[in-house]
Amino acid sequence: MQDKMQDKNKTQVLTKARTGLEHLIKTAGKSLTVAGTSVARRDDPLKVTGKLKYGADYPDEGFLYGKILRSPHPHALIKSINTKKAKELEGVVAVLTAEDVPGRNGFGAIIPDQPVICGDKVRFIGDGVALVAAESEKIAHEALKLIEGDYEPLPALFDPRDAMAEGAPKIHESGNLLSDDKMVKGDVDAGFAEADVILERTYQVPFLEHAYLEPDTTMARLQPDGVMLVEGPMQAPFTTRRNVAPVLGIPINQVRVRQIHMGGGFGGKEDSPIDIGCRAAVLAWHTGRPVKISLEREEITIQTAKRHPMIMELKVGAKKDGTLTAFQGVIYDEQGAYASLGPKIPPAGGSHVHAMVMMPGPYEIPNVKVDAYLVYTNHPYGGAMRGFGAPQVHIAHEQMMDELAAELGISAVDIRRKNAFKLGSATATGQVLNQSVGLRETLEACAERFDWDRRLAECGWVDQAKTKRRGVGVAMGWYRTSIGTNGDGCGAAVHVHEDGSVLLYSGITEMGQGAFTVLPQICAEELGIEPGDVRIVQPDTDLVPESGPTVGSRSTTLMGNAIILAARQVKESLLDTASMMLMVPTERLEARGRKIYDRENPGKSLGFAAVAARTMASGKRMIGQGWWTPPPPSLDGHTGQGSPYHVYTYSTHMVQLVVDVETGEVALEDYVAAFDVGKAINPKALEGQIEGGVAMGLGYALMEEVVLDHGVTQNPSLQGYLIPTMLDVPDIQPLILEVPNEMGPYGAKGIGEMPNIPATPAILNAIAHASGGRVSRLPADPEKVFWAIREAGGPPQA
Amino acid sequence: MALPFEKLHWYSKLEVADYLVPTSLPQALDMLAAHGGRARVIAGGTDVIPELRSRKLAVSALVDVSRLPDMNAIESDGADILIGGGVTHAQAAASPLIQDKAGLLATGCGWVGSPQIRNVATLAGNLVSGQPAADASVPLLALDAEVTIASAEGLRVVPLSEFFQGVGKTVLDSSREILTSIRFKALGAKQGSAYLRLGKRKAMTLPMLVCAVVATAGQDGRSIQSAAIALGPVAPVPFRERSAEQFVAGKPATPETLAQAAETATAQCTPRDSLLRGSCDYRTEMVKVFVRRGLAAALTQAGCTIG
Amino acid sequence: MSTMELSFKLNGRALTLNVAPDTLMVDLLREDLGLTGTKAGCREGECGACTILVDGTPMNSCLMPALKVQGREITTIEGLEKADGSLEVLQEAFMGEGASQCGFCTPGMILTATALLKQNPDPDEGEIRQALSGVLCRCTGYRKIVQAVKAAAKARA
Repeated sequence: MQDKMQDKNKTQVLTKARTGLEHLIKTAGKSLTVAGTSVARRDDPLKVTGKLKYGADYPDEGFLYGKILRSPHPHALIKSINTKKAKELEGVVAVLTAEDVPGRNGFGAIIPDQPVICGDKVRFIGDGVALVAAESEKIAHEALKLIEGDYEPLPALFDPRDAMAEGAPKIHESGNLLSDDKMVKGDVDAGFAEADVILERTYQVPFLEHAYLEPDTTMARLQPDGVMLVEGPMQAPFTTRRNVAPVLGIPINQVRVRQIHMGGGFGGKEDSPIDIGCRAAVLAWHTGRPVKISLEREEITIQTAKRHPMIMELKVGAKKDGTLTAFQGVIYDEQGAYASLGPKIPPAGGSHVHAMVMMPGPYEIPNVKVDAYLVYTNHPYGGAMRGFGAPQVHIAHEQMMDELAAELGISAVDIRRKNAFKLGSATATGQVLNQSVGLRETLEACAERFDWDRRLAECGWVDQAKTKRRGVGVAMGWYRTSIGTNGDGCGAAVHVHEDGSVLLYSGITEMGQGAFTVLPQICAEELGIEPGDVRIVQPDTDLVPESGPTVGSRSTTLMGNAIILAARQVKESLLDTASMMLMVPTERLEARGRKIYDRENPGKSLGFAAVAARTMASGKRMIGQGWWTPPPPSLDGHTGQGSPYHVYTYSTHMVQLVVDVETGEVALEDYVAAFDVGKAINPKALEGQIEGGVAMGLGYALMEEVVLDHGVTQNPSLQGYLIPTMLDVPDIQPLILEVPNEMGPYGAKGIGEMPNIPATPAILNAIAHASGGRVSRLPADPEKVFWAIREAGGPPQA
Repeated sequence: MALPFEKLHWYSKLEVADYLVPTSLPQALDMLAAHGGRARVIAGGTDVIPELRSRKLAVSALVDVSRLPDMNAIESDGADILIGGGVTHAQAAASPLIQDKAGLLATGCGWVGSPQIRNVATLAGNLVSGQPAADASVPLLALDAEVTIASAEGLRVVPLSEFFQGVGKTVLDSSREILTSIRFKALGAKQGSAYLRLGKRKAMTLPMLVCAVVATAGQDGRSIQSAAIALGPVAPVPFRERSAEQFVAGKPATPETLAQAAETATAQCTPRDSLLRGSCDYRTEMVKVFVRRGLAAALTQAGCTIG
Repeated sequence: MSTMELSFKLNGRALTLNVAPDTLMVDLLREDLGLTGTKAGCREGECGACTILVDGTPMNSCLMPALKVQGREITTIEGLEKADGSLEVLQEAFMGEGASQCGFCTPGMILTATALLKQNPDPDEGEIRQALSGVLCRCTGYRKIVQAVKAAAKARA
């Protein structure tokens, strides 16, 4: 009897630890001093004077230059790689092939299936077949030319449906279908039976390139203590470290990875630094000298991770009044040659499962069935790009909503009003959204600021000659905060010094999003001091706690919570000291404005620095450490039911544009984007994310596409891969709404990725409204818009 | 078929043994001659440097002609306008003379590259690049411009109708010759012009189609005396659409005439299917749109009523 | 390979150097002179991150042979800071408006805007966008950059 009771207790203890209330650290709604204000970015003075050093700006005397020889075939067996002549070239220090990789010849953010140096076969044009280190870049380049590769080409696959077919040549031994995932809720057949209208559509989106302005670069060197140091721009120092270590065959604690400020990342620098970091480390290992690898713009496009292309087949049923009754979807998610960030990290991590979960959109749909296939092809591979699968599916469901509205004769806004999530709604995975659901608020706020009804009424022909027609478009979106894995933890440390200055240790990286400004704000808020009193240490895996990568819109929320916990731990020690100094119980003490004072008698106060000094002098705790994990995610492997991500950010975008119906050219005129962000820790920085994200979504809609022909990238440079210029992007009005996230710092949830997601379908919807042309295969460049108008039988006449 | 090395590996530093900056035309020609065909003229450098970087071009020396005197003026010469070989697109686009008397050229020059590129790239370089849709070349072709080419043998004048030979190829040999000036007739009172351009974004982009029109209104103000219509890229070279030009000559200025001219224009055009710059079918459709719009705009500017 | 003598003014200082004939300005500045404020984003004149002012006019330094600037006055981002360490109005405006995110395009944007305001002290939004259309930004969506230039124009008025 007693044993049973003990077992019962044991089980209870275990469960409590994973679903307990420690996720709620209750800061939402707190009256704030420094969080919630648009504190200036601390690195701005360095940026505007050109003094901020990016990776390529670091001095490289004494470095060898590393270069990668790339496969000229999309799929081939390697018969031989002859490096003899290359090795003989004066100034060449090392030429390495597959057998020279000291440890595991494989790297990857999730599955290490990409060879550091290909040995038996190549799987995409750009796959690495040899590495060179030489005294100068020129010699390294010449050495590459002298390496003779002998290949036996294999049939190559460029379409995921071909790669899935019976008998298709295997790209990886494990087969081409990397993942086959399902989401089933209710009964779609019954749902379709109830529907008054059923529409079937296919939407297709291409490979996209991050096109961060700062090219990739990395520096690797063996420190005198035998530790391999890898430095460079990167979003995921810990992921980089956990790849470099096994590649070199050494323990993780023998590798040190240090992040250098990035000139943009957008998800691309989550795994490109793993690629060149492992390769530079292997060269540094062999030569015993520091090695730098820098990629040229074209090489970045050819070699590094992209946004996954998808073919999305939708079948959606709705009642006459617009109520959705059933959603059926199939996703052919093209992974490309290597797994990168596509495959599932149980239960809901990886871009593929995320896309599946997001596919039906932020709508209450009782019956859902999604089949999602993740397939290898002999193309460059999909990784993480701002949205991680969500941008693609939003392009499908938001266009479908408009097409349904048109079919039913109801407005695009009304059909969304009819179905949009609200507090208490259940998602397609059966997750009940029980807090922080501001979706409908964003729709109403956006419609009001944009003046949707008036603009809608004023749409139509712009000129007498009827060549230009004005239209408006709307799209909604939702995006998770956190990455849906069991290991989505985040650590921070706060060190207070005797003069009241603070060091903040966090592995979250700065890429322009403002993390190095926002995180010190949170720390300062919690300690009751100024953001300028807190210096955030440059992320270095030797110094900072494991934080996870700077991705998935998780940084402000997860790291913010970890920082609050860390600050609270040291604050407890400081308040204890202050309590003794002031003879006031700690419960009555408040820390604010660099003072610690008695709430009931504010005149009774001490300076923060004085308390810090006394705490130190008393030998008491001067440091705090915090670790925060979101509530454990869940997603059933067969039915796709569960709660994969703990909270979502919501958004509505509206756009007004003009289409030249004779040429297909599109010109944006006005744009309003509303977001429920829980809490804006730094409103100006948040606006910047919104404005930049919308521009990126605009590019996806109108001009961006990595064009591949038989596996060959046709437009690797910025001349061919077009991103929006200042003349393409209109003035954007960001609207920030706050429906607090009870599990976020002061109510905050993520924002990094949300802005670029609804932008694309909002623009596509507006193009269809203006011109009658519905582009279902992106980008909607002038030619595609032109043919879409033709296919529709011409523009609307009125 | 394995992809060539240069399409997979880039090295951005150049390999040029000599950079020469002559201060007179004879000196420049001597320098070119001394390198026996292995040197090349550089003006703004915005075409040459990328070609050297991509190793499409390899030279022993660059001869920088941007310091040559008497090549930087835009001036009237009787009924003509004379543009020196050193004049940049920025200068031409901003020139009141060109805006007023050769509007299509000012517009075209304003589209080349980016402001940074326009500040240094020359119209001469644009012509010498031999690109079928080059934004200075196509308007100049519509203006029936001629160029003066200097070489060790002296000066020769070549009308643009004979200048372009193929994609990237002209009669000018950049290893021995220098384009010193461009001359064309300024637009007169009853003349108007237009330059239209179709691109995938609104700045800094290669065009899918360009169309330059110079139209001369009939005396009655409602007919077309003549028109010059130049298009690109619809052929390997910037292209004068003679059949459409012949069609409109003497016709009444009506929407029907313009539409018919547009249809006629497509007969001679052979734009390629390009993965990056548009299919043949689409660009052919756009030829129609642009010829129609270009004629309408140019005629209206010429004071013609289109009825 | 032999070097050639290059004399020019850099950020107000006269300089004479020996350079290899095929040196590009972007590399001369970044590698030989340690002025890394000028960035290399694409190496083909398509992004504007390498913009410098040559006699006050914005040009792409990645396309500019160093020997082309013989006798010219070059201004890089480092040259804007005043002798007493204070910043130009445009630099202050960029900070005030939050116009820099990753900052990589910031030097190119500020230099191009400097040239614009010198030539057109009160530009409207269209003129600002046109003048800066040769510098790409992937982070900001350009809005705060335009606002910063407007704010600087107003402050200088």
